[in-house]
Amino acid sequence: MTTNLRDMDMVTMNIIDSTMVSVCREMGIVLMKTSYSTIFNEALDFTCALAGPDGEMISQAEFCPSMIGGVPLLARSCVREFKPGEIEEGDVIVHNDPYRGGLHCPEHTMIKPVYVDGEIMAYAMSIGHLVEIGGMVAGAFAGEATEIFQEGIRVPPVKIRAKGEDVEEVWKLLLANVRTPRYNYGDLRALIAAVDLGEKRLVDLIRKYGKETFRKTIADLITYSEARMRAEIAQIPDGQYKFSDTVEDDGIEAKPYTINVTVHVQGDEAVIDYTGTSKQARGPINGTLGVSWSAAYNAMLHMTDQSIPRNSGCFKPIRVVSPPGTVVNVDYPGPEVGGNTETHCKIAGTIIGAMAKAVPNRTMAAEGATHTNFVFSGYDKAQDETFVCYAIELGGWGGRSFADGNDATDAINGNCRVVPVEVFETRYPWQTMSYELVQDSGGPGEHRGGLSTRRTLKNAKVEITGSQMSDRHRNQPWGLNGGQKGGLAGTWYRKANSDRWQMIDEAFGKVSASKWANIRIQPGDSMRFQTPGGGGWGDPKKRPRDQVQEDLREGYISKDVARKVYGLEAGGGD
Amino acid sequence: MAGYLVGIDVGGTFTDFVSYDPNTRAVDVWKNLTTPKDPNEGIVTGLGHVKDPSGIGNMRLGTTIATNAILERKGAIVAYITTEGFRDVPFIQRGNRRSHYDITWVKPKPLVKRRHCFEVRERIMSNGEVQTPLDPETVRAAAKAIKADGSIEAVAVNLLFSYVSPEHEREVKKILEQELPGVPVSLSYDVLPKWKEYERASTTLADAYVKPLVVRYSKTLKSRLKDKGITDHVVLIKSNGGEMTLDAAANAPIQMTVSGPTGGVIAAKHIAKLCNVSHLVTLDMGGTSTDCATVINGRENFTTDFEIEFGVPIQIPMIDIRTIGAGGGSMAWIDKGGMLRVGPQSAGASPGPACYMMGGTEATVTDANVTLGRINPGNFLGGAMKLDAAAARKAVETVGKKLGRSAEETALAMVRIANNNMVGALRSVLIERGLDPRDFALLAFGGAGPLHINDLMDDAGIPSGIVPNYPGQFSAFGFIMTDARVDTMRTVQMTSKRFDQARATEVLQSLVASGLEDLKAQGYTKNIEVHRSVELRYLGQNYELEVPIPFDRFDATTTPKVWEAFHQLHQARFGFNIPREIIEVITIKATVVSLTEKPAFKTIGKGAGAKPLNKRPVTFTSGTVETPVYDRGALKEGDAITGPAVIEEPASVTVLNPGRKLKVDAYGNLLIGKLAGE
Repeated sequence: MTTNLRDMDMVTMNIIDSTMVSVCREMGIVLMKTSYSTIFNEALDFTCALAGPDGEMISQAEFCPSMIGGVPLLARSCVREFKPGEIEEGDVIVHNDPYRGGLHCPEHTMIKPVYVDGEIMAYAMSIGHLVEIGGMVAGAFAGEATEIFQEGIRVPPVKIRAKGEDVEEVWKLLLANVRTPRYNYGDLRALIAAVDLGEKRLVDLIRKYGKETFRKTIADLITYSEARMRAEIAQIPDGQYKFSDTVEDDGIEAKPYTINVTVHVQGDEAVIDYTGTSKQARGPINGTLGVSWSAAYNAMLHMTDQSIPRNSGCFKPIRVVSPPGTVVNVDYPGPEVGGNTETHCKIAGTIIGAMAKAVPNRTMAAEGATHTNFVFSGYDKAQDETFVCYAIELGGWGGRSFADGNDATDAINGNCRVVPVEVFETRYPWQTMSYELVQDSGGPGEHRGGLSTRRTLKNAKVEITGSQMSDRHRNQPWGLNGGQKGGLAGTWYRKANSDRWQMIDEAFGKVSASKWANIRIQPGDSMRFQTPGGGGWGDPKKRPRDQVQEDLREGYISKDVARKVYGLEAGGGD
Repeated sequence: MAGYLVGIDVGGTFTDFVSYDPNTRAVDVWKNLTTPKDPNEGIVTGLGHVKDPSGIGNMRLGTTIATNAILERKGAIVAYITTEGFRDVPFIQRGNRRSHYDITWVKPKPLVKRRHCFEVRERIMSNGEVQTPLDPETVRAAAKAIKADGSIEAVAVNLLFSYVSPEHEREVKKILEQELPGVPVSLSYDVLPKWKEYERASTTLADAYVKPLVVRYSKTLKSRLKDKGITDHVVLIKSNGGEMTLDAAANAPIQMTVSGPTGGVIAAKHIAKLCNVSHLVTLDMGGTSTDCATVINGRENFTTDFEIEFGVPIQIPMIDIRTIGAGGGSMAWIDKGGMLRVGPQSAGASPGPACYMMGGTEATVTDANVTLGRINPGNFLGGAMKLDAAAARKAVETVGKKLGRSAEETALAMVRIANNNMVGALRSVLIERGLDPRDFALLAFGGAGPLHINDLMDDAGIPSGIVPNYPGQFSAFGFIMTDARVDTMRTVQMTSKRFDQARATEVLQSLVASGLEDLKAQGYTKNIEVHRSVELRYLGQNYELEVPIPFDRFDATTTPKVWEAFHQLHQARFGFNIPREIIEVITIKATVVSLTEKPAFKTIGKGAGAKPLNKRPVTFTSGTVETPVYDRGALKEGDAITGPAVIEEPASVTVLNPGRKLKVDAYGNLLIGKLAGE
């Protein structure tokens, strides 16, 4: 390995790699600053990447991790749909089809060829989650969908711009099928502005170093990252590592679905095998092929060296066995919108759980592993338009062999920010009554799990229609090495002038408490969203006493838990 | 006789001093060791260099005392008071991670304990409507608990939507002042009247966290200076580059978070005027980090997006200075795949680069520059410090062996990679803001900036370069030229569809009035300049662009010009606009400046042609050549040099690549490239 790396121009590689990362970051900043949906501009649920002419990812910036692993499959399936020469300079292709490499329908990808002297040298890509895409619920997360057609408009790779001009027919079709055309227009423009910028910067870079140097350097970078990743895997003891977790239900039937993982590590390669995973669900918790790859890559990147340049080379020593027709690799036309937010993080967490024995210092107990997706819509009288919002919540992260789990952190397949209360209330007709950490929600352990959050909202103004895609209302996040489980999530509803909080299945006669579609919330009604806490790591009795006392003083744990679970002597901490 | 001006920049290792005597127009520069244990000690002993300290008419000080207290978590024990239901906002934060695959990441802790957080009953809505009036009993209960705790030294108050209506926060403060006399209170409205409760909480907490310390500091400084006979104007430099009195600093200490580096930008404004350059980009390269900023048409750029560390925002208005961890002390290393990397780990001042002979063995950028012959080991810091060239070469060779390259090749590669890191910082202030490097001149200072100026001009595509006088004390030099400056802003939230011109005008005028009042309270009444602007975005977006407004009222003539200016700015900045879209007005801003009297520097006299002191071999990308060495002190106006050349001075070295032209201007600035007639 070292011999073939020796022939590379490592200095030029370093420079071109860091310049490409800065280009991707710059694309992301344009996207953040110009987009309309809060899920883009506050939550940062998007990514920007560069691909080689063959669709291999050559660079990315750190925005949403779930999308990164999807890039190689996405780029290739997109480019494959066009005849050679059909993608011209100035074209921008839009795409969201989960059955053509996508991760789920809301995620729209823009791909722009980077032409230098009549030749495609690379592609600039931006991927972002559009809040509203039509379908049976406003905001895409139809907790009760049974077919992809209910989940929103499906866009196979088509040109949204051709030779630098808008393709008006495509814009008309896209905007006629959604509830918030003004917002979608702004978000799509932002995605296009990002790839325009990426193209421009990359052309400058390629012209500076010359086409041959660029071509050789990106190939070398992929080889280099592959070699680094192989060296990382080689350090993991050979063996078969198994673990499983469940998604508690699919919104249609009240039964759990198993995610089964076997990681085979042999030499410098890893095979991640999902055999034994449940058949695909009728409801929308299914992952696409892209999800099953991306989750595997995501988990492996968490357990390996952070400094490896992020390109397709990282993925080459990792093979994924993803049986079709299962909840991790759905067959057409199964619904899939929750696969990317709920199942994705559970797959990644299960792989990390499987590896806990092999690489204890690079793993953690279960994190919350749900984004608590809540989508809602209504009519904004002042602006005379429909509003649709996609809100996420933060859960606890798992305890680790060296540290507690982080409190209130986005699930592992996202790196989203929570939307500030002041932004949320300015834009939407909810009043936030409280937003707090949940005492005792962190799984007890020598290193405890992170605390979860609880938000209480009151509908202040107009009728609101809401839907949810969440999990962990019944199935607690697991602990490791003697650590205990994290706290459960929950969603409750309270009618105006009532003091009774009810779970949604009970209040609205739904099958699932965590996945449901189109409930009506009247002015004065309240909703409460609690997220799961992280699992603990290690025996809670071994937690240093001063830390138990500090947790007690800070109110992270109750007196009861301090005494009964952590075994704090009476009087300690008072 | 007018008293003289003294600028002082307290850095990590050295405190820099610059004095200017308006009677003789003489400038003097010197250094003293920084004394972290008693920060005033180094200042006072440094002032011993001045023959008659009582003759100091104006002393301006840049200090990192506030920043260090936060970074080292050595501030006060603070309490946090907020709206009922929201005490966990500082702990929940925003939920994203610093790096998205890093399983080892530990979320930053806020500057307050959760048990010191208290809630009060009140609620203001997003439109300013009071839904629940403030219940004073809940405030008294919090005050009682704070008193009972006994350890609390300062209080931060952050109520929801206070940026729309500060009334409740003011009431809280009134009650706290009654109940807790002597305990300083920071209100979020005073610190940062802007939306997003976590960012505001973090900034307000930081203000309270450093307040007791800064109060003590300015009190001691005042009395120590008084002992020296300095009682006249003594001021601190704010993060926005303006000055504030010691009393004002004690009242709003967060304003001085990024104090020191602003001096370089202020001095850059002066250089831009002196050299008649409209677009300048600064590069301040020191031992561990490099700062970049811009001066365009005489104006610096401002930001409110600062994070002192990941997840700990401090969003006061400040000069937009980007810092990267690359400097002369940045160390070279080979990663697991055999790739050469430079930094961000730094050898710092101690043990320092291998050539310092202070125990460092790792190859640093400085060692690479010594190996390439660019730094003269016998004339470092004016000969005050001897460098060991053999140790530098040995360290570089050790790295080179792993790469299979010679010491020279390795040193060149190290410099190239370090330069590329700095080009990234230059990109972030230029290209990422839609600015074309070809319109700029690069102003390089800091001990190491002039060494790299020529390579960076090439790599970043900047046609001109300037090495100013006193590159090693440039920030302190800037401090003898600061103005007093107050930034005011208010969030208004209106749209172009329903724009209340009368209300907007009223807000604008009241902001200007309050800025003037603030300046007047500090004693600044002369040479007033007012800058007004609005922050706008398309309805639905979440980030604003700042549009300057050259008028003091919104009316049928002026308002449409604002919208048009926004569309144009959006096009220029992001490559597109949406012509018929509704525009949202978020913030109205006014900046009030009291211009101070500026030094009139002496010219250096015409030269008769530059003569080299001697020659030595220096390695460039094109090869090693016998290179003439000049003494900067001997250069005069009009002297011209064509590279290869090195120009040495006590605190720095300028490297001129083969073929590059350099010219000395009337004040002694070194002009390179296009400015030198290339």
